[in-house]
Amino acid sequence: MDLMRHPDLADRLAAAYGMGTLRGAARRRFEAQARERPMLRALAIAWQERFAAMTELQPGIAPSPNVWKKIALELERQRDAASHGASRAAGRNVSVGRWRVLAIGGAIATFAAAAVAITLFMQVDDRDAQLARLARDSRSLSQKNVQLASQLQASPDIRYVALLSDDRAAPSVLVTFDPKHNTLTLKRLRGFSEGEEKSLQLWALPPGGAPQSLGVLPKGGVAKLTAAEGQLREAPALAISLEPRGGVPGERGPTGPVLFKGPVVPTS
Amino acid sequence: MDNDLDRTLIALVECIAQVSTMPLARREDAFRRLYDLTSARLYGVAVRITGNREWAEDALQDAYLYIWRVADSYRATLAPPLAWMGVIVRSRTLDFLRRRQAERIDTSQPFDPGSDDTLASPGAGPMDTAQASEQAWALHECLRKLEAKQREAVSLAYLRDLSHGELAAQLQLPLGTVKTWIRRGIEQLRGCMAHYA
Repeated sequence: MDLMRHPDLADRLAAAYGMGTLRGAARRRFEAQARERPMLRALAIAWQERFAAMTELQPGIAPSPNVWKKIALELERQRDAASHGASRAAGRNVSVGRWRVLAIGGAIATFAAAAVAITLFMQVDDRDAQLARLARDSRSLSQKNVQLASQLQASPDIRYVALLSDDRAAPSVLVTFDPKHNTLTLKRLRGFSEGEEKSLQLWALPPGGAPQSLGVLPKGGVAKLTAAEGQLREAPALAISLEPRGGVPGERGPTGPVLFKGPVVPTS
Repeated sequence: MDNDLDRTLIALVECIAQVSTMPLARREDAFRRLYDLTSARLYGVAVRITGNREWAEDALQDAYLYIWRVADSYRATLAPPLAWMGVIVRSRTLDFLRRRQAERIDTSQPFDPGSDDTLASPGAGPMDTAQASEQAWALHECLRKLEAKQREAVSLAYLRDLSHGELAAQLQLPLGTVKTWIRRGIEQLRGCMAHYA
């Protein structure tokens, strides 16, 4: 039965779903329809929110001071653990489950810098003027970046560019895509070293889909990976995670912390 | 409705979320203030769910440490800050109870809503509206219109995530009675909440 043709029943089931008393087969049927019907999904979410307000209605009771003491102890323990593992890579605390949100959020911050980079690629003739602007606009884009721009001059068909930044919004890896050769070129801007036991792995983050592996970066310098244009077109953002040496199977998604991320910008 | 409190809570949560740009000491200060402003309210939730103050304290501690870890996910929600924290406390407290159940500790000890004065039904008395969102105020008004026993059944069903059968066992009532109360409760809430949509 199509619930959206029975709005009263749909709302009643959505309310029972939100409250949690819709169980078993009835719940599974409801969930199956809600996944396909945005309106039904919206009803269910609205009821979940209404019931969530129940948590605000409970009478307050002061907890024992021991609760905060234990919390403070745990924070202290975490602080000590963090300072012992001092050489950990930046962004280590970013959990994989949240990285997509972070990538999009960071996109706004990196966009200005990325725009400078694009201008650089598109107007290579006017490089000196761009250089001056670059120096003014983005303290983070280093001289290496400029060298890369002249390297890339030899292959001017750049359709996508992405500037991946670390968790302090410092541009760290410059990615360009050449559709003629289906080649991604990655340039490390900050000399990050993943160490002997680890590898960096590049991921496309398609909206609403699982991260797609685009390959593992060789150590240091400029890396070239093969990718199809569709993978870039459909992904608003790219990210690089720190993985065991050799990378991890693509279908299971990243397992390590996300070190760098940034938006994919078409150049035309 | 106290938008100042909401704004304060949001600012504190956002401060805690600045893992890489905010000094740890300032994040911890913000966390302490967040705790001071919200712990009584959230402890009330945990006590009502567990029916046991000691368990509620363990669950509350776990929930705050979780909030510390996931503060940066608050921005992605559109919920009022206290409701966001309330949902976290509820789900962490339910997890806590399930773990206990799995470990078979005290499985013979049932919930005993009748004998515990911490389990006063919400919405029965005048509400402390100073700390509630608009959504909570609407729910409060609508719950108030239910009969006390229906209100109790609806509140416990949600907060403790109970099926009809589990609810009947906890309230020591026939299953049919509980089903009827819940059905009527939902119907009345639907009618009433529609005015606040």
